[in-house]
Amino acid sequence: MRTVFLASLRTHLRRHVAAVVAVATAVAFVVVVGVLTAGARAALIERLGAPYRNADLVVSPVGWPASHMKPEDVIAFAERLGENASAIGRASLPLRAGGRRIPEAGVGPISTVERWRWQPLESGRFAVRGGEAVADVHFALANDVSIGDRLVIGEGAAAAAVRVVGLVESPSPPAQADVYVTWPQLLRWRDRLHLGSVAVRGEAGTLPPGGKAQSPEAFAEERLTAVQNQVDSVRVMLLLFAGVAVFVAAVVVTNTFAILFAQRLRDFALLRCVGATRRQVARSVRLEAAAVGTFASLAGAVAGAALGYGLIAAIDLVAPDTPVVAAAPPPSWLLGGVAVGLVVTVAAAWSPTRRVLRVSPLAALRPDVAAGPRTGVGRARAALAVLPAAAGFALLAAAVMQHGVALMLAGGGALFAGVLLLGPVLVPRLIRLPIGLFGPTGRLAAENAARNPRRTATTAAALLVGVTLTTAALTGMATWRAALDEHIGGRHPIDLALTSAKGPVGADVLDRVRRTPGVERAIAVPGAVARVSGLDGPFPVVAAPAAAEVARDGGAFAQVEPGTIKIDFEAFRSGPGLRPGEQVTVRVGERQARLRVAAGSGWGPAGVVAPQTLAALTGTPEPHAVWVRAAPGADPARLGGDLDELADPIDATIENGLRTWESLDRQLSVLSWSVLGLLAVAIVIALIGVANTLGLSVLERVREHALLRALGLTRAGLRRTLAIEALLLSATATLLGTVLGVGFAWSGYETVIRPALREAAFHIPWPSLGAVVLATTLAGLLAAVLPARRAARVTPAAGLSFD
Amino acid sequence: MDHREPAVPGDATARPYERGPYRPVPQVDTATAVRRAEQGTVAAAARGLTKTYGLGDVRVPALRGVDLDLPRGRFTAIMGPSGSGKSTLMHCLAGLDRPDGGTVAVAGIELTSLDDDALTIFRREHVGFVFQAFNLLPMLTAAENILLPLELGGQRVDDAARERARMLAEILGVADRLGHRPAELSGGQQQRVAIARALITRPDLLFADEPTGNLDSATSTEVLDHLRRSAHELGQTVVMVTHDRDAAAYADHVVTMRDGRIV
Repeated sequence: MRTVFLASLRTHLRRHVAAVVAVATAVAFVVVVGVLTAGARAALIERLGAPYRNADLVVSPVGWPASHMKPEDVIAFAERLGENASAIGRASLPLRAGGRRIPEAGVGPISTVERWRWQPLESGRFAVRGGEAVADVHFALANDVSIGDRLVIGEGAAAAAVRVVGLVESPSPPAQADVYVTWPQLLRWRDRLHLGSVAVRGEAGTLPPGGKAQSPEAFAEERLTAVQNQVDSVRVMLLLFAGVAVFVAAVVVTNTFAILFAQRLRDFALLRCVGATRRQVARSVRLEAAAVGTFASLAGAVAGAALGYGLIAAIDLVAPDTPVVAAAPPPSWLLGGVAVGLVVTVAAAWSPTRRVLRVSPLAALRPDVAAGPRTGVGRARAALAVLPAAAGFALLAAAVMQHGVALMLAGGGALFAGVLLLGPVLVPRLIRLPIGLFGPTGRLAAENAARNPRRTATTAAALLVGVTLTTAALTGMATWRAALDEHIGGRHPIDLALTSAKGPVGADVLDRVRRTPGVERAIAVPGAVARVSGLDGPFPVVAAPAAAEVARDGGAFAQVEPGTIKIDFEAFRSGPGLRPGEQVTVRVGERQARLRVAAGSGWGPAGVVAPQTLAALTGTPEPHAVWVRAAPGADPARLGGDLDELADPIDATIENGLRTWESLDRQLSVLSWSVLGLLAVAIVIALIGVANTLGLSVLERVREHALLRALGLTRAGLRRTLAIEALLLSATATLLGTVLGVGFAWSGYETVIRPALREAAFHIPWPSLGAVVLATTLAGLLAAVLPARRAARVTPAAGLSFD
Repeated sequence: MDHREPAVPGDATARPYERGPYRPVPQVDTATAVRRAEQGTVAAAARGLTKTYGLGDVRVPALRGVDLDLPRGRFTAIMGPSGSGKSTLMHCLAGLDRPDGGTVAVAGIELTSLDDDALTIFRREHVGFVFQAFNLLPMLTAAENILLPLELGGQRVDDAARERARMLAEILGVADRLGHRPAELSGGQQQRVAIARALITRPDLLFADEPTGNLDSATSTEVLDHLRRSAHELGQTVVMVTHDRDAAAYADHVVTMRDGRIV
């Protein structure tokens, strides 16, 4: 059988191309996931090990994390080795910055020796002597610390003043601190110092008691467990998507083999007539599948590795902060990917082989075997397939009522399985629905698509999976995002607020605010400076009927009843000292009013009252606040800084609520695009399946096409028929998938989102869904281009004599 | 077999069919042939047809210079063993393939000057086909198969067309099977449906390529009889390619081919 095997492999290689591409894509996906996660892990280890980069040894506690070394021992050890050692750790000390007191800040050492300086400098310069310090960038941002500021570390006798000379990053979690000072300076607080490790160059000599020495790599591995969980969860998620891609590829490959073997019925029958046993033919066929699978998997692994490293290089260019580097190719992932591809291909060939061998040899040799066996679904099977669909519905209903996530997943899976099983009954009927739409060629196309129900349904199924998941993800994320938007909008209605408790905010300030880059809209809020009983100092009171122009909650927060004053409790660092419901007296000049306190958040140190109340308090309201709505994509830090410059001269304060928005927005966008990108892979594989099915069907129908051409169908007409067939198939699958996807998203919303965020509304992203439907349908149309051209190229005479 | 009054009489003068050897063609040029075709005595004319398949070592000359006139309203058989080039000749006459050399004129139209789309439209309007097998599209019913050439022409299938289809089916004896798919028809019924389809556009030529190859003798007789009656009662020009002498006996004229030439 070897000659038969080799010869059929050579002859039918072209027909296997699509299957090869599908499997290779899925395998490449798996390998890319492996390369990326290995890269992420390597990067994290690198960052973690930054302080020990130039060390030969690391001294750390034996039995970490249970035990630790005594600080005095470590200090003595480090002092003994001098410049050849760098102790890593920190002291937890109170810190005063700009009038604010931070009870517990981490203060760590920064070396004056270049070799041991592991903190990358962001701005300014390194601290080189006592009295100087560098601050961690994120700590500085969060606490309004900038270069040139004076910090007081420690309290009482141990207090020391330092000046911030630079800002640095702290990439290594175990060594991280908020502020870094020189080692001699740090020793001032040696009794509060906790030192976890020492990086050593050269010989260590006697180790401190309870310490052990190991290589930096070993140390990093040990410490990695804490960070490992991050990488792991991402890896699991990516694997899920890879799983979807693999499933879709499996469907495509199974369909391919089913069609191919049906076309080669004659060959198999002939072999059996001539004397090959069933087992020999089966073995040859399975070997063919294995050969195809091996080739596809290897190609996919190579492509995946190339793509993975290419992606890492691209990420390096676009977002160099992301923790991912080009690491050594992970062997287990490569082998795993290849194994998956091989298993999928061989398994996919199993069932079609059995079906083909069941046909008796002589029956297959009879000349009237027309284009392929008709594969329908018996009534009994259809009835059976309704069961999982019905069960799925029931489970989903139960999940919605009881808010059970497990029920929802089970129900969704059962319903989807039911739809897939019902495919051969459902899909041809759906395809025939728009039968009048395209004229006679359309009818031919619809009939062609519907005549082989199982094959059509399987092709559609692959596409259905991808589209359902994509639309479900799109809808779910849109709903979740809308809900979060509303939720955050309630807590941070104003992006940036400039409030003046002294003089009024002039028109020129408003103008300059409006012209600041990143500001979409700004309004001046009229009010007056008042004295409120229970609050120290002057307190602006404003009324904001025009708040809806800039507020993220539509101005709801500013709609205050007369007799009430709404105060932003978050704007007071230690609370305003008032309680909601309390009655306070608000005095403006000669007039006064007694108002009830209501609590709110997000617009700064100004009290919001109803316009009537303000009119009662003053006849001449002047703007005392400017409320800003930021443009999408505005940099919160920079915008805050710009407005700060405008606010300083008039002694106004800035409340910046944009940061929360911005980071959330960015995270959600990244998440959405990543999910879409990953699912797009599955859809692409499914579309390859459509092109493949069409291409192979065309091979079966050569005589029919010749007949049609003889009877008077032009080449363009034939191409049109095939194009419409592909269009009907992909449009049906896409629309059905969208309906299912939105349905699943709705059940997810009812089960998970609504209990958590009560005001959340179900949000269907019509433009995005429309884009998906359009793109997939058009891509399906494109899938027909090559098969259609090939079909139309055959002259009628050649086709009529085709065997 | 049904003897019905044809609703569309062709040439009402029923000519007795002539038996006997084929008369050699007088040497006339294409222009004359075309004129003759226009005048109505010759339905199609070929001059100097050559066609070769393959290249180099595997070159096969299928036609080596064929001259032929096909008389209108007659049943002509083109006979010869396999490999004689008879199918190739038919393909060239019907516009299914292009000859390498020579000219073909059908119903006054010079085929060799037409491009592919024009040839296709020509076939749709002027030629009908019956093949040995795979005549019908398996997913359409018999009625839909018969009306297929009209649909392909983009014409709306109106009641007149449907009536004509039904009438043809009645003449051919398959009127009660119109709603069935080809898989539910016997071989003979399929061929008769194919003949109905070939006749629906009132073509200038009806080509039959080994129409009885897959049929038993009784069914073959039926089908051949229908073909002959199409020629004699409907005035249809019928050309049949066959290797079977008994089938060729039904024709008015027999053209014999061997090794790419008419002998």
